[in-house]
Amino acid sequence: MARRKTLAIKPDARLTITGGEFSYGDAPALTDVNISIAPGEAVALIGPNGSGKSTLLKGVLGLISLTAGEMYLHASAEACAAADSSAEHPEGHIHEGAEGVGYLPQTEHIDPEFPISLRQVVMMGRYRRLGWWRFPGSADRSAVNNALDAVDLRPFAKKRFGSLSGGQQQRGLLARALTANPGLLLLDEPINGLDQPNRDSLLETIRGLKARGVALIITTHDLDLARAVCDSVLLVNGRQIAFGPREDVLTLANLQEVFHDVQVEVDEHTLVLPGHDH
Amino acid sequence: MNMIDALTTAFQLPFMMRALVVLLVLSLAAGFIGVFINLRGLEFLTDGLTHAVFPGLAAGFIVGGKDGALLGAIIAATAATLLLTWLSNRRVGNDATTAIVFTALFSVGVLIVSTSSQQTSGLEQLLFGHLLTVTEAEALTTIGVSALALAVVLLTFRRQLFRSFDEEGSAAAGYRVLLTDVALNVSIALVVVAASAAVGNLLVLAVLIVPGALARLVAVRMGYLFVTAIAVGMLASWLGLATSFTLSVDAGFNVPGGATVALFFVATYVLALLYRTVVKQVRT
Repeated sequence: MARRKTLAIKPDARLTITGGEFSYGDAPALTDVNISIAPGEAVALIGPNGSGKSTLLKGVLGLISLTAGEMYLHASAEACAAADSSAEHPEGHIHEGAEGVGYLPQTEHIDPEFPISLRQVVMMGRYRRLGWWRFPGSADRSAVNNALDAVDLRPFAKKRFGSLSGGQQQRGLLARALTANPGLLLLDEPINGLDQPNRDSLLETIRGLKARGVALIITTHDLDLARAVCDSVLLVNGRQIAFGPREDVLTLANLQEVFHDVQVEVDEHTLVLPGHDH
Repeated sequence: MNMIDALTTAFQLPFMMRALVVLLVLSLAAGFIGVFINLRGLEFLTDGLTHAVFPGLAAGFIVGGKDGALLGAIIAATAATLLLTWLSNRRVGNDATTAIVFTALFSVGVLIVSTSSQQTSGLEQLLFGHLLTVTEAEALTTIGVSALALAVVLLTFRRQLFRSFDEEGSAAAGYRVLLTDVALNVSIALVVVAASAAVGNLLVLAVLIVPGALARLVAVRMGYLFVTAIAVGMLASWLGLATSFTLSVDAGFNVPGGATVALFFVATYVLALLYRTVVKQVRT
């Protein structure tokens, strides 16, 4: 069933994974990952619950191990600069940690009573740079202000994080990820529960990031989001089903393989996909 | 001597001054760490840690007296911290497992003390401390161990804060959660050890948990949380000591210092709770 194609590795790719398998302990959670993501490219990561979407994000972050295959990451500021300025960019290095990778978690597990201001949350994005001792300097403060401006939340900087709306919290966490100048940004269900204005604002921010050469992987259930800002689609269901340009991947056959008996909206038509094994 | 005098002049007595210094140092370390206990909701785990340290205290006490108790406590605290971090990280069991393990350890401690000839005074001292008869050596140890506990949390402050707020995010930023947790648990265990001479193994809970909980009630800004927790601990220590002194000297009640101080900690919490309720009523 697996349609194995040779993967075209993109020039200056921010992230390339070949034959990737990610496992929790001994159990592989996601296999057959073959992707290559260029600067400024946004990939919609689509699959049912438990299909390995979070696994892939955690794998790229280095939180769970790559048990087979190879992963190359060019996301840190240094690596990006090297890649952008010279045609012969370095071959890539085996992934260690996740330098230059920003991550936007879902906000629902955050305690709304936590006594911390939006500015303090965004400053967390600078912690790794500050190390153990250093106090935030002017470079850190301006990085925080720029990130707050990028998500349009500067006036709310002193507000308690938990007092912000769900969409504002989401954008606040995005600002936190942006303070580290990531070359690759991982967004986990970013538009879940967002109202239209917050959704538009987020899409606008994503477009701005793409224009600056930031690559994105966005997990979503929403094909509209994929259409609005994503160039490519990665379909997974325990293994990679398909990866490629949006229009090539979002086919009925592919969607059927991933989603069984669910409604999917494709081009204004609602389809009920017949299941294979029900 | 009336109460007002007791607040100042009583501390001219060396044993009172020593008790005060020990409590102020404990309040500093425990107040700071207590904020994280509250933010992380680790009150139950902290309770468990105090229980787990007890058999070490007891065994050390039997073998080597007061100095032995400290060494035993440090060994037990280290073992308990590692066990606890491992248990919670593997997500083995739940609160029930934790409670059973630590109650068992506590019982073992009581059994150990009971085999000793000086069991009654020994058990009481280990459980409730001997605040007014703390020796200079014990005071110095308390200061040293408290400083160590504080240093561990200060060194890991950013990762503690990040992890308290957002575990997933902190892991994604490259902070190893296990290391962060071990650091906090170690510092809690160190405070339990540091406090064993002054307030004992049971009353240390008041010192560790009340200030953080109180600060959370009245302060909404991160910076104020730590200041409030530390200041409240110090204030309760001072008032509690002075009160126990007045009651013992003037009124002739023989009240133990440690328990009086613990009650003052609780009293500050009750006051803060009342204050907050009133403020909420007024605002609505």
